[in-house]
Amino acid sequence: MEKAIIALAAAIAIAIPAIATAWAQSKIGSAGAGALAEKPELSGTVIILVAIPETIVLLGLVVAYLIIS
Amino acid sequence: MIREMRRIQIIGPKGQLDECIKTLHATSVVHIEAARPDAWTDAGADVFLKRLPIEKDKLIEKESLERAKERLRNLIFLLNAPEHWKAERVTAAELRGRIDALASVEERVKEARASMEGLLEELSAINKYEKLILGFAPVVSTLGGLKNFEIAGLTIERQRAGVLELLASEINKITEGGFELRTVDIDEAAIGVVIAYPKRFDAKIRCLLSGKSINEIRLPDAYAELTLLNALKLMRVRKAELPGLIDGCETALEAASNEGYGVIKGALAAIDDAIDEIGALDYAGQTRFTFVIEGWAPATDIAVLKDGFRRTFGGTVLVRDISIGKADFNRVPVCIDNPGYIRPFEVFLGALPPPKYGSVDPTPYVALFFPIFFGIMVGDAGYGAVILLIGLYLRRRFAHKEKPRAIASVLAISSVSAAFFGVLFGEFFGDLGMRLGVMRPILIHRAEALKTMMAITLGIGAGHVMLGVIIGAANHFRHHKIAHACAKLSYLSAIVSFLTVVCGIMKVLPRGTIAPGAAAFVVSMIALTALEGALGPIEMVKAVGNILSYVRIMAVGTASVVMANVANKIGGLSDSIIIGIIVAGAIHALNIILSMVSPVIQSMRLQYVEFFSKFFEAGGVKYEPFKKR
Repeated sequence: MEKAIIALAAAIAIAIPAIATAWAQSKIGSAGAGALAEKPELSGTVIILVAIPETIVLLGLVVAYLIIS
Repeated sequence: MIREMRRIQIIGPKGQLDECIKTLHATSVVHIEAARPDAWTDAGADVFLKRLPIEKDKLIEKESLERAKERLRNLIFLLNAPEHWKAERVTAAELRGRIDALASVEERVKEARASMEGLLEELSAINKYEKLILGFAPVVSTLGGLKNFEIAGLTIERQRAGVLELLASEINKITEGGFELRTVDIDEAAIGVVIAYPKRFDAKIRCLLSGKSINEIRLPDAYAELTLLNALKLMRVRKAELPGLIDGCETALEAASNEGYGVIKGALAAIDDAIDEIGALDYAGQTRFTFVIEGWAPATDIAVLKDGFRRTFGGTVLVRDISIGKADFNRVPVCIDNPGYIRPFEVFLGALPPPKYGSVDPTPYVALFFPIFFGIMVGDAGYGAVILLIGLYLRRRFAHKEKPRAIASVLAISSVSAAFFGVLFGEFFGDLGMRLGVMRPILIHRAEALKTMMAITLGIGAGHVMLGVIIGAANHFRHHKIAHACAKLSYLSAIVSFLTVVCGIMKVLPRGTIAPGAAAFVVSMIALTALEGALGPIEMVKAVGNILSYVRIMAVGTASVVMANVANKIGGLSDSIIIGIIVAGAIHALNIILSMVSPVIQSMRLQYVEFFSKFFEAGGVKYEPFKKR
């Protein structure tokens, strides 16, 4: 039972940040696509902006790992 | 590295201005800046340097050149680019003659294009109407004997077939029953309708049809006067002839393209050069007898510039080399020049504004760390070899396109790092090397030692972030900005002491380090707050987030190796070796494509967000020398 709760906690620790990251990336991605239609030279900046929220899920990954280990 | 720049002034008699502009253009090292009369005051009295107005004949020449450019651009749009072409060198003196000589090519091209468009239109019309006429023919032939009758052909969408009944009713009213309506299937989507009615009702019927938004069939002009049968016969003949005629036009166009494409490209470049030279006049200033041109040039090119002017003008035009004061730093254009291995990595700076003059060019650091991060994430000898081949192929494929070639070079260089780390991790197409017994992990077994990988990547992150802070501090010291430099050092001290405390708590360092670490952290934070204000502590929190962000190297790398292992496992499940190889190969191919995208983006992000934010000062002016196209 304890193992199951630990596993569930780890899953929640990574799942919620993953959803948050996806939500943030969807917003940035759609705004970025709009910006690229106007200024294609911004492609490098937009790629970086889309990658920025991934830190959230990485922090989730670290926390999940700490919970499991 | 950012090259040292010098401010230059070129002063000479007004009569030699044109020649001076041409010499500047040929030397290709000066970034011209508009003359600033306000900066040239005579002991606080009247301004003696004025803007030089462009003469009227120069403006007329510029307009003429722009018209010629428009004409050539329209012409090149009509041509097909030959497979192998090279822009011919066209000098300013030859320009007019070469443009005039292109008149015959232009005439042939326009004629061939017009003919081809006409023929294609006719072919399209024939294909469209042939089917309709074939559908109508049997119906019309039964009505053929009815003299004084008019015949109208219509198409109606099959799903709107209900309108036929209404149409028949309306025509019946108009013609008082004196009409004939037949339908025929044209294709899956349309029904053909033929209506025969007395000629005297023609106007009313046409009015009815146009009002109902029904598509009436109208034959092309060339066939309008013919009977349906004769129109069909002529269409068949033309349909057989047209492909040959279109090929003839294509051949004529190709011949004209081969003859004129390189010349037009060369002439366009010469026109742009001539327009640039007239435009450069607008940057010049004048006194009563002299002209003045101001600009910037790399310090190492000044001798070449002076030598070029001395040889051309024999001393009548003076090139002054003025040292740069700190007040000028915001105006100095930034010329980044790195050795061959590092140069492809300059492509990453393209997404950012240029660094300020006097700040640090991050390219050498990117050239060092980007391949390392990419290598740890991909970390597979087999993948590295495949990506190297792809990189070398793309480098050759885009040999003449600067940016794609640079990206391909970065990919090729980084793939070597991927192969190196692959050897250290014992990975060759995932665990295939280990399964075959030819490889074993030398450093670490990545797929199993997640905790160790996490610690390694966090260590790399701490080192990388601290290096950024050290570079920032060193640059502030270099420019004697002591307060900023001390703030950076406090920041560095805060990061180091914080990490010491964390490592002490986690028993990586002895317990005894916790207390001095905590004390150093408190002192560093106080110093940081005193020097940077409330932003200091926020920066510290950001630094911790920055370091944690490097865990992505482990995360992306683990995903890559797990997917590679899955490919081998699924391939191994098949009874047939060939099917197994195909399945595993397909998954590995997908993984390699992902490995060429995700690690590049993640590695770029670590450079831009985590590393550059510690020292990069954007906002410089890009060095754009006045040079020929």
